[in-house]
Amino acid sequence: MLPIAVDAMGGDRAPGEILAGALQAAEAGIPVVLVGPEGLEGTGGLPLIAASEVIEMDDDPAQSVRKKRDSTLVRAAEAVRDGKASAMISAGNTGATMASALLRMGRIKGVHRPAIATPVPVPGTTPTVLLDAGANAEVQADWLVQFAVMGSVYSRQRYGIESPKVGLLSIGEEPGKGDTLRKDAYELLSAAPGINFIGNVEGRDIMTDQVDVVVTDGFTGNVVLKTLEGTLKTVIRSLLEAITQPEYKEHADALMPALLPMYATFDPDNTGGAILLGIDGVCIISHGSSSARAMVNGIKVAREMVDTGMVDAIRAAIAASSGTTEQG
Amino acid sequence: MAGIDRASVLGTVARHLADILETDESGITEDKSFVDDLGADSIALIELVDSLEQEFSATLDGFSFDDDELAQLKTVRDAVDYVMRAHGA
Repeated sequence: MLPIAVDAMGGDRAPGEILAGALQAAEAGIPVVLVGPEGLEGTGGLPLIAASEVIEMDDDPAQSVRKKRDSTLVRAAEAVRDGKASAMISAGNTGATMASALLRMGRIKGVHRPAIATPVPVPGTTPTVLLDAGANAEVQADWLVQFAVMGSVYSRQRYGIESPKVGLLSIGEEPGKGDTLRKDAYELLSAAPGINFIGNVEGRDIMTDQVDVVVTDGFTGNVVLKTLEGTLKTVIRSLLEAITQPEYKEHADALMPALLPMYATFDPDNTGGAILLGIDGVCIISHGSSSARAMVNGIKVAREMVDTGMVDAIRAAIAASSGTTEQG
Repeated sequence: MAGIDRASVLGTVARHLADILETDESGITEDKSFVDDLGADSIALIELVDSLEQEFSATLDGFSFDDDELAQLKTVRDAVDYVMRAHGA
């Protein structure tokens, strides 16, 4: 198997945590190639693709990809394009990661825009796939239909759900609720073949078993995701603070075996990153503050996406949904 | 550099743009605004610039758009003009 290209300089905790995660993944048997500056220390002997520049978190995504052609992000995408790597992963600038993947790896034919698909944990069952989680701040109604197609493939391939329930994120369950975009998308989704569209869903439904795939624009999706992360973190911290008071110590000790798995379920580092669906290659986006553990899990997801043929499955679904037949 | 003509440049720009925007090439004329008429966003424009650089590098070695001038590309005509100027036409 070709290695996974790891952007060694992407993320708030790069390169230390990124390298540690890459090394752990390699030790677990997943081939990895780092993309970073020549002479980078701490690589532990892992192979390195040299790149002299770094796209910073606050760089303009589209411009930086053009101006920093020898950046770790661009070189990682080129490694996949040129057949030197099977997938790429970065915890760096999300917009620039998308731009690098889009410009170097290309779009699957027929895809209007790639979307970031993020698994949102649901206690006791499979995660809900939320897309777009931030690639496209503004979208068109027909793009949301494609997001539904791609999200359904992802849910089916990764979680084994035969006919994933697709919901359109809005401000009420009734078809007439929402802005013009949501109303237009509702009509298109209702008529789209091959999608198990269940109608509008609300934010409170995302972390339940009512829905398997939630589609929305990237602006809303990103706000939802960050709100969920922040809320969960606050609730868990408050809960732990409350039950670890000295007077509750015995109760806390008894509850910990039940609480720790719940904590692990909600820990973003265990999610393994989001995937950019619609790109002609596997591109995993890990969150900016990724730890070594997040990187290991992200690399594992990248490997899984390659092994299960996610890109080809998306390609087939898009071709079928647009009524085209592709050769090769 | 010889042999490049405006109609073929327009055709090339329209072909790439139609491919990127998944739209009908015949509707792309010089007077069309990228954003207002064709609905292209910043990523689509960068895709266009990137693909045109690859295409026209074949006729003009090292052809590229100056990043500082990208903001001036408002219409299809602007892109065609840029390519023509670069080719000395």
